[in-house]
Amino acid sequence: MISLDRVTKAYQVHDGLHLVLNDVSIDFPPRRNIGVVGPNGAGKSTLLRIIAGIEAPDQGRVTRKGRVSWPIGFGGGFNGSLSGEENCRFVARIYGESVDEVVAFTKEFAELGKYFDMPVKTYSSGMRARLAFGLSMAIDFDVYLVDEVTAVGDATFQKKCRATFESRSGRSSVIIVSHNLKTIREYCDSCAVLQHGRVTFCPSVDDAERIYQI
Amino acid sequence: MQPATGLAGQFEVLNALILREMKTRFGAHQLGYLWAVIEPSLWIGTFVGMFAMVGRTAPDGMETVSFIATGLLPFTLFRESVGRAVSAVAGNKGLLFYPQIQPLDLVLARAVLECVTLMLVFAVIICTAAIWSDRWPHVADWLRFTLGFIAAAALGSSLGLLLLGLSVFTPTIERLYGPMLRPLFWFSGVFYTANGLPAPVRDFMLYNPVLHIVELVRSGWFVEYRSLHADPGYVTAWIIALSFAGLVVERVARRRLEVV
Repeated sequence: MISLDRVTKAYQVHDGLHLVLNDVSIDFPPRRNIGVVGPNGAGKSTLLRIIAGIEAPDQGRVTRKGRVSWPIGFGGGFNGSLSGEENCRFVARIYGESVDEVVAFTKEFAELGKYFDMPVKTYSSGMRARLAFGLSMAIDFDVYLVDEVTAVGDATFQKKCRATFESRSGRSSVIIVSHNLKTIREYCDSCAVLQHGRVTFCPSVDDAERIYQI
Repeated sequence: MQPATGLAGQFEVLNALILREMKTRFGAHQLGYLWAVIEPSLWIGTFVGMFAMVGRTAPDGMETVSFIATGLLPFTLFRESVGRAVSAVAGNKGLLFYPQIQPLDLVLARAVLECVTLMLVFAVIICTAAIWSDRWPHVADWLRFTLGFIAAAALGSSLGLLLLGLSVFTPTIERLYGPMLRPLFWFSGVFYTANGLPAPVRDFMLYNPVLHIVELVRSGWFVEYRSLHADPGYVTAWIIALSFAGLVVERVARRRLEVV
């Protein structure tokens, strides 16, 4: 269960304050896959970072029950000069997981071949995303936060991700942000719409579609 | 359970950060670890050579290589700790992506690594010199000696933390602090002792906490030297004041440090 209670977040821009989240209250119920849809620049990534706890809201409270992942997607959080394996070791350590198990799982899941032992800066963006995804799957999170899942890998890899999520549907859930309702429909039961600093929670993706079209 | 809560989590994070920092700093070159020793050795060699050329010896019968090393390495530790702290966030921005890692953790990890590295460098240099001259030193007070090194790292890191926070508001600080700290090299007792200074000059120079640190390390190392002026309380006061200011500014600046 993740709850946002009257969360407000604004950024300083050249002509004053840009209000990204305006007094947002929303509950993400446990064990349900939830999408957040919104146009580019609406503040989806900011919302995800606040949920993850990377950024603190200006006002309001965020409560998390369960283990929440970092925002997975573009492979931020890797050190380019270290290899895929070394990055995995680091993340395993900060989450208090068995280093060897995490490395073995990620190696198998990400299918990077010899690149797994090469510096991450030599990776393509798709490869980085696969590493990030495999690594997050190696750690048992209750909630996975996913940023723009469309960026992650090719069709085969996406199929694999979906299968893994489905196999864990009893234990863990995802919160996905995207500007594309199609991807959200593939993974999620409910969907929230983020527009103009406000979030509207919809019980089904179809309801979200009606609002989002406007 | 959210990962990395409490002391155990903090320890996990620090441990991971230190191991990673070792990899990125020393692992990049094959001579990585060696280079950490070579650079200060060259400095010490240069100064020992200069002492020999002008016919100077270390005061109070101290052995020259150790005398220079007990001055130069604590000073280097202080200066490097400042720089490492100031650049801690810029060099590790991606890491703030993980919720349990805060800017303060990056500064702490670097401080610990810097302190351990320079103490090891000291050990290597002293052992090499001892084998060379076949004269093994007797350490006067291990605790005082070790605390001196730790104080150098703590003082440098807390100053660095403060500068890091301030540089968020005034970016020029990143370029200014280096030249501003440079003169300290001549005022920190690297080549002389506080005991040997004329009184009016000494009273003024003792405002410099780094001089106290060098005096602590030296009197902890040498049986021959008893510092009449080293004041651990004065150094501690500086560390507490700078940490306090640094933490306050970091708190205010955190919002802008966070932006990945």
